[in-house]
Amino acid sequence: MAAKTPEQITDDLLRPMSGLSAPYVLSAAFLAGVVVAAGCAFFYQVYAGLGVSGLRTPVFWGFYITDFVFWIGLSHAGTLISAILRLANATWRRPVTRCAEVITVFALSIGATFPIIHLGRPWLAFWLFPYPSERGIWPNIRSPLLWDFFAINTYLISSVTFLLLPMLPDFALIRDRATGWKKKIYGALALGWTGTPKQWHRLETAMHVMAIAVIPVAVSVHSIVSWDFAMAPVPMWHSTIFAPYFVAGAIFSGIAALILAMALLRKFLHLEEYLLPVHFENLGKLLLVMSLLWFYFVFAERLTSWYGNESSEMAVFWTTQHGSYSPLFWLMVFCNFLIPFPILAIKKFRTITGTAIASFTVVVGMWLERFLIIVPSLSHKYLTYSWGTYRPTWVEITITAGTFCAMALLYMIFSKIVPIISIWELKAGLHLKPQAVRLVVRENEAGAD
Amino acid sequence: MPIPPVIYGLFPDPESAERGMNALNRAGVSPNRIVVMSSEPFDGYSFSKMDHATPMPWLAACGGAVGGTLGFLLARLTQEAYPIVTGGMPILAAWPSGIVTYELTMLGAVLTTIVTLLVTTKLPNWKSKLYDPEVSDGKILIGVLEPSDASRAEIENRLRGAGAVKVKATGVRP
Amino acid sequence: MAHQWGMVIDLDRCNGCEACVAACHAENNISTVGEEQAALSRAKHWIRVERYYEGEFPDVRVKFMPVFCQQCDAAPCEPVCPTFASYHTSEGLNGQVYNRCIGTRYCANACPYVVRYFNFFNPVWEKPLHLQLNPDVSVREVGVMEKCTFCVQRIKAGKIQAAAEKRELKDGEIQPACVQSCPTKAMVFGDLSDPESEASRLAASSRGTKLLGEVGTRPRVTYLQRDSWHGSENT
Repeated sequence: MAAKTPEQITDDLLRPMSGLSAPYVLSAAFLAGVVVAAGCAFFYQVYAGLGVSGLRTPVFWGFYITDFVFWIGLSHAGTLISAILRLANATWRRPVTRCAEVITVFALSIGATFPIIHLGRPWLAFWLFPYPSERGIWPNIRSPLLWDFFAINTYLISSVTFLLLPMLPDFALIRDRATGWKKKIYGALALGWTGTPKQWHRLETAMHVMAIAVIPVAVSVHSIVSWDFAMAPVPMWHSTIFAPYFVAGAIFSGIAALILAMALLRKFLHLEEYLLPVHFENLGKLLLVMSLLWFYFVFAERLTSWYGNESSEMAVFWTTQHGSYSPLFWLMVFCNFLIPFPILAIKKFRTITGTAIASFTVVVGMWLERFLIIVPSLSHKYLTYSWGTYRPTWVEITITAGTFCAMALLYMIFSKIVPIISIWELKAGLHLKPQAVRLVVRENEAGAD
Repeated sequence: MPIPPVIYGLFPDPESAERGMNALNRAGVSPNRIVVMSSEPFDGYSFSKMDHATPMPWLAACGGAVGGTLGFLLARLTQEAYPIVTGGMPILAAWPSGIVTYELTMLGAVLTTIVTLLVTTKLPNWKSKLYDPEVSDGKILIGVLEPSDASRAEIENRLRGAGAVKVKATGVRP
Repeated sequence: MAHQWGMVIDLDRCNGCEACVAACHAENNISTVGEEQAALSRAKHWIRVERYYEGEFPDVRVKFMPVFCQQCDAAPCEPVCPTFASYHTSEGLNGQVYNRCIGTRYCANACPYVVRYFNFFNPVWEKPLHLQLNPDVSVREVGVMEKCTFCVQRIKAGKIQAAAEKRELKDGEIQPACVQSCPTKAMVFGDLSDPESEASRLAASSRGTKLLGEVGTRPRVTYLQRDSWHGSENT
């Protein structure tokens, strides 16, 4: 890879923001269409009642809560990975951090809509907020749903901050090159950033403090989401393994989403010289570790259930292993472990395409995992007379599809407004003191082969 | 806000900027009149050295303590304001209150960090005119605020000698 | 001392007639959901009669068990409600406050007995059935959870009547609709804090078991049965 001047780097990374090609507009229009359809489906549900979904006694949570847990889990990509890589001072993180942080903010925002979408009376969702009501009553702190409220809001505020703070210097860069109304908007966003040593020092310290703070927050968020299930006496839910199991699963799906996003960005925004094979290699190794960890947790949970042989738990166990949910169960194992493991473990297959394929199957597999945690247990509770089934309707399917399209659309819009790779961070990585620079150049050269 | 009088050089790389900084130091310019601006942090060079460390991490910890206290009070006062028995649990249940306290502790730390950042960097500051867009192109700006008439020529020579590709002056003569 | 309401169901007397189910619908303004919705498991029978078949023809035995809200002392449905719609009253009942319910349905998932029902649609009474609505019980709108309340409106009415007449409540004076309508007198409702009440005496019977007692919910309903074929184990 020929060495690039700072001006060339700036040009390359600002180029995706200019111009609207026909494929871009058409894809954005299609995605927006699906999102609008999802919105219509939701309003129809509010108008007619939750009966238009597939929910029923005893499966009172289905697709919506699956989506909720899935998107909150996916949000562990960005901020957690970005924070951990920053703290570990991994030099290869620099082009990756903003892609990751954006995933978190959007996935979290999407996930946070589901507690409202799935409510019987969503217009009263604000009762979850602790305010002095005219009835004198406050929300119930003992409820895991309240813990969700505090945790998700804390994580959202932290992630948005984590994303926006390092964008200040890039906004200043765009402000300086822009004219007219663009200059005004980016000027406002840049908050008057000039780049004095004091500003840089404070910004980097703030990022360091945030990176330390955001890791325990991220861990707590998905633990609390898992406790929505673990706190209820439902067979195969009431297990202490849920919190670490969910956090590991979240990081797993998050890394997969990050690899997938980076592969797509690389292709569509022509960032081949910045998102290098070495990045996919390294993230692919992390994904491999998480895949093994996921397998370990599933094995530990199922071994304990099988050995314990408690009759209500075994009913759920067998329905996923051999019964009506077994096709989905084995598809999940295939997607989360059997396909990714050889791809990621064998260096020859751990290419950009390979890791992207493995990541896609992991995203599918993790969605299935959320579904298989919720529905088989709810349909096989303690009293056999009340066992039931669940089948989603077009309303739930449309809303679920709408969230995936919303994620893609938000990402597409974001890449037009803000450089998807942090320009100052990338350049700063090339301008380290001489010894460090030689190391970075060698690493980049190795990756480019 | 009027542009303050500054005379500054634009340096193409950190090494020459460091020479320019050292030249100004040797000329006896006091550190609080030296202006530096760059488009990257340039850690490790003399021109980006800070004179004092920031108490930001400690402030964040204090913010966390405040947040935690508020969180605990929120849990306690709201549950005791309208006490309702659920599931045989106490009105102020320890574990759930602990979770809410923890979340608000972290939120306090995060918000304090943001506020500290904005306050110590005096951002947002849309009115300051002390800037040169060439900084965004990768140039490093090293200059002197309010130079006396006598020292102007000498400062310009030192900056050019260190390797500045341009030397500019702004502001109204007093 | 405050009343502590409880019920005793004698499974050896229950013949599965489901008069209790019909009476409950009538008393508590529970709408029927129609054939299609019932096939989707959305019927709202606050009390349901479970039937279990044992043995091969011609030696088949059928066992009936009415299941309804057990008003648990350690109800798992109560702490999980974010808006306190599900809570515990001082008389040991699990109260459901319809106005506070925002429909998260967490309580329904947490209930091991599956006795909580959700209004998936707005309830409909085709004319002239709307004339049958009980004015003492509110009609729930779409999106709200509901369940057996031990006919709390009758408990309240009984207490008000006794207070107005300046006397104590008599045992057996308050009868929920299901208890009142049972032809075999299989169901008994009473004050468990009164050791002389029929409910207390029957609850102490050696035939008594608690449904899903091992889950730890501490239900207020005692089931009497000669052979322990159900109740403490899932078959």
